[in-house]
Amino acid sequence: MAGVRLEGIYKKYPGSDKASVTDVNLDIKDKEFLVLVGPSGCGKSTTLRMIAGLEEISEGKLFIGDRLVNDVAPKDRDIAMVFQSYALYPHMNVYQNMAFGLKLRKFKKADIDKRVREAAKILDIEHLLDRKPKALSGGQRQRVALGRAIVREPQVFLMDEPLSNLDAKLRGQMRAEISKLTKRLETTTIYVTHDQIEAMTMGDRIVVMKDGFIQQTASPEELYNHPVNIFVAGFIGAPSMNFVTGSLSEQGGAVKFKASGVDVVVPEGKAATLRSKGYIGKEVILGIRPEDIHEEPVFLEASPGTIVNANVEVAENLGHEMYLYLNGIGNDTVIARVDGRSAIRDGASVKLALDMNKVHLFDKESELNIFES
Amino acid sequence: MSKTDWLMPLQHILNSPIQLKTRTVQEWETFVQEADAKWQPDKSEALAPGTRIEKAESSTWFIAGRQKQELSVLEIADTSLTTKEKDLISWTLYMTVRNPPAKPNANISDSERFAERLSEWLQQQLDSDEPAYSLPDHLTVGSRLYYDMIPFLLITEQTTTTKAAAYTELEKLLKSFLSEDILLIPLKSQEWLIWGPMALLRDEDAEPYDATEEESMEDSLASITSGLHEMLASEWLGECHLAVGLPVTPSKGMVEVTMLLRETINLGRKFHVGTNIHLPWMLQLERLLNTIPESYRAKYLEQSLKRADLFVEPEMLATLETFFSLDCNVSETAKRLYIHRNTLLYRLDKLKQETGLDVRQFRDAVLVKIILLLYKVTKRN
Repeated sequence: MAGVRLEGIYKKYPGSDKASVTDVNLDIKDKEFLVLVGPSGCGKSTTLRMIAGLEEISEGKLFIGDRLVNDVAPKDRDIAMVFQSYALYPHMNVYQNMAFGLKLRKFKKADIDKRVREAAKILDIEHLLDRKPKALSGGQRQRVALGRAIVREPQVFLMDEPLSNLDAKLRGQMRAEISKLTKRLETTTIYVTHDQIEAMTMGDRIVVMKDGFIQQTASPEELYNHPVNIFVAGFIGAPSMNFVTGSLSEQGGAVKFKASGVDVVVPEGKAATLRSKGYIGKEVILGIRPEDIHEEPVFLEASPGTIVNANVEVAENLGHEMYLYLNGIGNDTVIARVDGRSAIRDGASVKLALDMNKVHLFDKESELNIFES
Repeated sequence: MSKTDWLMPLQHILNSPIQLKTRTVQEWETFVQEADAKWQPDKSEALAPGTRIEKAESSTWFIAGRQKQELSVLEIADTSLTTKEKDLISWTLYMTVRNPPAKPNANISDSERFAERLSEWLQQQLDSDEPAYSLPDHLTVGSRLYYDMIPFLLITEQTTTTKAAAYTELEKLLKSFLSEDILLIPLKSQEWLIWGPMALLRDEDAEPYDATEEESMEDSLASITSGLHEMLASEWLGECHLAVGLPVTPSKGMVEVTMLLRETINLGRKFHVGTNIHLPWMLQLERLLNTIPESYRAKYLEQSLKRADLFVEPEMLATLETFFSLDCNVSETAKRLYIHRNTLLYRLDKLKQETGLDVRQFRDAVLVKIILLLYKVTKRN
């Protein structure tokens, strides 16, 4: 097993004046599960393909373990890949599909057999070893693709949206299985996804990318609770964080955030930072997660300075929780996540409390989180 | 390279007269005794190439070769040569004489020799204005080229191995992956024509998972090509472009199919950047559009697009490409794009509003598909 280090990696395609990946620096530790996440076109797959050796690195250095591998062919990098468009070898059965890479590397027959059967057992596909890919379901094919990677016992697993061709139920199941599997095998894994739920549930650390740049690298909790900018704050979490543009003012010794339909007090700890950074009297963007907007009477009574009035456009009851689509808090629709047993219905006028200890405030120009920069 | 080929350039580099003389071993040994210094690259061999003696204020002599009792001696009169320069000359002579460059094609296999002959003939036909489409008899005698085979064209971008090494390695790899019955023909640098046996398509023992879906020959070829691409990318040199054609008899169809597959890869790379597997039957429209002159394309685009910028938006482009690839199926497209059906409908309505084209209508879908393809390959002002 080994770590992977990216030092100042760039990718520029011929004929394009803009880099697709810009100055990526990452130190991925041995046995770590690192997730690259971001919207389509953010450079996450290109970064992974450079690690795999499928794309040339335009600038920078890539190390697997202590070895500089910029000019090493994919087959000699000691990595195994599972990609979105993984293709099984259609003319070979499952056993042969998994054994092929080992056969090429001149492993002994007995060793190949042992590795294939062990991997098949882990993936629960022992009964499928004689079947051809055509005779397998989508989920079974996915397992074979994983098996082909596992038998190699590589230093690093590279996975690019490996679950995206599966239906939602199977995806959830496989997500848990991959996590379990990589922990058991203790192999360093770099996993690319556009799906923030996959990122949050699988990664030891998550790298959020946008337009070829790394926005933030952190643990799932850190990313969720301390996003460095509006993009990360909006990308991580479902439903997304709500944003309300307003201004900060000082009134009777308290700092207040005011926007259309909003006049709330900022807690003293946050207020001190805002004062020291000179934000009083300026426009900022307030970010609040749906679960930090409360309707419970106890909360309303405890924090009178954070109450807002809103109209419920739609109340979506999912059983265990309810999403309220609200008008009247700033200019856009705001979503609140409340208990599924709530009596609130469509069209209701409600009083809600914003948990101001949990809110984030972003600089309007730079979009950086004022409390994290 | 003969010895005299390098004398002039070396003389030019050192800017000093150089002579290559024949001396007897006895003469050399006399010089050694009179010399001020001696240096030999191989300590175990006194007369190894590159061994040199130096006479202060006179000249430096290097052994450049040996034939029994006679030595070729390189005599350089310049006394201002540095030790590093002298070491470099010694080392070069030692390495060159000890490890002469291998003669080309000295150790190639029979199959490679045959493939090279086929390649030579094929390239002549491809470069000719009036190509012969059937293989001449001397290239087909005793071979399997009279039976139908599956043609693949492979183009790689990496240049890390020499052609000779690459041929042997690639042939071995393909034989173990596809079948012993493949034929590999090297074309231009990094371009290979691969013939695979029809047995790859016959798969009687496999019952399909979904019995309602009958696999066409095109589907089978596409899935074999995907597997081959995946294997080459991970087990050979990395990324490559691969095209496959319908089975033909090589003796009759080799020239034509090579032309088609070359055109297919060119079209695929031009119209579908980022795609590595190119199928001729999927590029019919691209083939037709490619024949339209650049100025006509630009004019057409200018006239058809009320709002060209809408087609530059990556989100709209991805939406339309997925929508077309899924036969204009709204539900499937929304699912594939991980968006709500209503979000997709909103995007399509926005397109209709801005361009007047509703891609849910067949007529407009065709137009938008053509506009998208043209847009990718046409220079705009």
